Amino acid sequence: MIQTLKILWRFEAISMFRNSFQMLLFASILLLGLYAIYYGNAIIQVQRQTIEAVGEIERDEFNEYRRSFEMTPSSTKEEQVLQIASDPAYAWHRHGYHAILPPHAYAALALGQRDVEPYYYKLTGMSLYYQLFEGELANPLKLYAGNFDLSFVLIYLFPLLVIAFTYGLYAEEKENGVLPLLNIQPIGLNKIILVRFGFYFLLITGLGILLSLIGFMVSGIGLDGLAAVLWSATLLCYLGFWFALMYALVALKRNSSLTAISAAALWLFFLIVFPAVLNSYATASHPVDSTVLTEITRRKSLENEEDLEEAKTVVLEYLETQKVYQGADSLLDQNTLAKAYAAFTALNDAHYREEVTEYQEQIRLREAWISNFRWINPAVNAQGVFNEVVETDLGTFQSFHRSIENFHRNITHFYFSRLFFGHAIAAGDYGDLPTFELSVDRGTRMNNIMKRLLELFLGVILIMGAGLLLFNRKLT
Amino acid sequence: MGTVFLMASKEIKNMARQRTLWTLLGVVIGLMLLGLYTGHQVYRQQKLMVDRASDQKRTEWLEQGEKHPHIAAHYGTYVFKPKTILSLFDHGLDTYTGTSVYLEAHYPHEFMFRPVQGYGGAIRFGELTAALVLQLLLPLLIIFITFQSFTKERETGTLRLLISQGVSVRSILMGKVVAFTLVGFIVLTPFFIGLYLLSGEESENQVITDVGLRTVLLFGIYALYLFVFTGFSVWVSLKSSSARNALLTLLTFWMVTGVIIPKTAANFGETLYPLPSMKAFKEGIHSDIANGMDGAGSRLEREARLKEDYLAHYGVTSLDQLPLNFEGVRMQEGEEYSNKVYDAHNDKLYARFEEQNRIGSLLAFVAPYMAVRNLSMAMAGTDWYSFNDFTAKTETYRRNLIRTMNRDMAENSRYGEFFEYKADEKLWESIEDFRYVSFTAQRALSFYRAELLALTLWVLWILFLMTIPRKIKNL
Repeated sequence: MIQTLKILWRFEAISMFRNSFQMLLFASILLLGLYAIYYGNAIIQVQRQTIEAVGEIERDEFNEYRRSFEMTPSSTKEEQVLQIASDPAYAWHRHGYHAILPPHAYAALALGQRDVEPYYYKLTGMSLYYQLFEGELANPLKLYAGNFDLSFVLIYLFPLLVIAFTYGLYAEEKENGVLPLLNIQPIGLNKIILVRFGFYFLLITGLGILLSLIGFMVSGIGLDGLAAVLWSATLLCYLGFWFALMYALVALKRNSSLTAISAAALWLFFLIVFPAVLNSYATASHPVDSTVLTEITRRKSLENEEDLEEAKTVVLEYLETQKVYQGADSLLDQNTLAKAYAAFTALNDAHYREEVTEYQEQIRLREAWISNFRWINPAVNAQGVFNEVVETDLGTFQSFHRSIENFHRNITHFYFSRLFFGHAIAAGDYGDLPTFELSVDRGTRMNNIMKRLLELFLGVILIMGAGLLLFNRKLT
Repeated sequence: MGTVFLMASKEIKNMARQRTLWTLLGVVIGLMLLGLYTGHQVYRQQKLMVDRASDQKRTEWLEQGEKHPHIAAHYGTYVFKPKTILSLFDHGLDTYTGTSVYLEAHYPHEFMFRPVQGYGGAIRFGELTAALVLQLLLPLLIIFITFQSFTKERETGTLRLLISQGVSVRSILMGKVVAFTLVGFIVLTPFFIGLYLLSGEESENQVITDVGLRTVLLFGIYALYLFVFTGFSVWVSLKSSSARNALLTLLTFWMVTGVIIPKTAANFGETLYPLPSMKAFKEGIHSDIANGMDGAGSRLEREARLKEDYLAHYGVTSLDQLPLNFEGVRMQEGEEYSNKVYDAHNDKLYARFEEQNRIGSLLAFVAPYMAVRNLSMAMAGTDWYSFNDFTAKTETYRRNLIRTMNRDMAENSRYGEFFEYKADEKLWESIEDFRYVSFTAQRALSFYRAELLALTLWVLWILFLMTIPRKIKNL
């Protein structure tokens, strides 16, 4: 058996090398894969630099505040700095923090939504929502065309490789008149075809794994073994799906042209038509209305800044909703205007929370509806898993947003507790500054990834089984 | 000529007998109708949302009560991007451009809420529109019906018979192209008539006023594309030694020009002409406003100069002697200067976008898909230039609004006073409601000369190909 396998594969390799179309396609996809790795890394590199730069801005700013405590101010500017550093009435809206979603080590391989969703935010104690809705500069035509990252090459282009190498495995033998010769071999036609499929499976998945390994290494930020394994498993399942599909198609034993065009039609169906229909239908059936959110970004302030009574009413209204600041109302006359501004923005956020929640709910429903259909389409499913593994999916950004809400709460509390109780910020307080923590429910994420992988795997088994049945049925 | 039609009618009869072809044609038409239906739904929902939100913001502006004009200028208003009626045919970039903008003093804000944000990764697989069906699916159908048009005749020996009867290769070729193009027209013509009628249904407050002309142009663009693809496919079939080779060549061409080139073009563009980050872009603007461009001096210096000029002009020694409130003048002057800085930076940014996009435009000479994709968006009013026109018009509106507020403050309030002066509804009403009307189809086309030239050259090339073959190898 081993001997037969060797012979078959040796001849398969020879015939492959002689087929200039196949070799050209293979080389093109290898090159495109390398370009995709380069492109993804270039994008992520820029993001890392930006993150580095904003981190530095934040460190510089806070170092300046820290230093201002250590010396007696000798100029107006130094006095101002000390004031901003120590007086919560200034500090709460001047101190700028950054919430950052650093790219996963392998984010360059599947950029996902990192080009449309902001990955860092500058936050002060001012209204949260006011600060959340600024986007990044982007060329819309580029966003529309999408990213040429490795996941694109694997999801879109590798199936073409599978199709090009396997569509003629039965039909061409028949058309070239070799079929009768194969039929009289002791090993059996189906086995020969399967062995030849096996050859291309090893070849193409080998190329896919090779490119992925290059991608893992080029990213260069440590090795994430688990992510690499999950990525590779997804790749194997996805390519397995295409091989199984091609096997089932070949088992129908139509002529090579019909097999090729059917394969092209299937590619078109899974990669373009089916997801496009779902997306359009989802947009029509689950409209997301962002117009209600615009009001949040409006710059508003107290009706009349000189009316102290109005200012006090706003402060009291806010304090009533905040148990943690109980007793602070007795200090109402100190710093009233600063407190009123702080209270005003906090009340504003509370006021708009409902609209924001409703908007997020619309998004969630739309996404939930779409993911109901994910299992049917291995292409969308595999792309989704790739993004989930390297944390560039919508879910990651939603966790990021939730973490930002917590972070903002901590920031405002840090300043408001001092502002409303009339305490200055001391040098020692700089040791307890609020810090951003990204909270991700890793368990749920992992479960979801495993569930999706299982779906992909079962799909492969199912189609392969159907293919085997078809092949044998047609044989008799 | 007679033989051409004879050949064509034979091909059509032949096609009419193919059940698979009818099924595929049915699928394509079905998908086009589905695209149109969802497009229409989305258009109506969006229109409802935009109209409601715009009305609400207008009311808020008018009913903001009495306040100082500068506070009103900061209160500002919002503009929402309306969908064009032809977007139901081709969404273009609608999913990727922002949908609302806050118009306020001092800052031309960026558009917010690109619909793609919050859509999840699946959106990147694209959306079904009738345009997508015509650009990618119909060509595949054409490949399917044409790839063996010559190879089959050759294999069955009918080609030899025809040639021996004195029929020229050219007539056979033309006959086939005419027949297959006609099939395409059977799909296109009723579809575009339907599209026009559907667009006519929605006539209230339209963004594009020349829907008829644009529909005709769209029809023309797609008809040419169809002809190019058909002619090219039949020619490939003529030149190929076997049906399988013809099919492989055509499928490769379709894949490379319809899927790989569009994506790589955009990505190369980004690699070659990188964009600044929003942070760097804004910092550049703020720094130029604070320090001045081209030696104009810092803000303080510019303001001092303005003060001197005004004092000299009116022959007075202090600002409170001026017959108008200098604060209003100073603010407007600052506004004008920021506008200049913003324009300079935006022009540079937009030039960058255009450099990025030019690669795709030039590739239209290799890939007819690129020409048609860009021209189709342009006609639907969903391309980048249309969006740009919309942003430019909202910005003009904003500047007028702020200028009116500042002028009112300069003319009606006194220097050194702020909360004492309040304007009322009369001033708010003097700002007309914003209503957007897009530029004409001709202007939209003027941005796409490369694409138009490319499409023309493709048509000419196909016509040329049809006239050369006199002899045929390996009969």
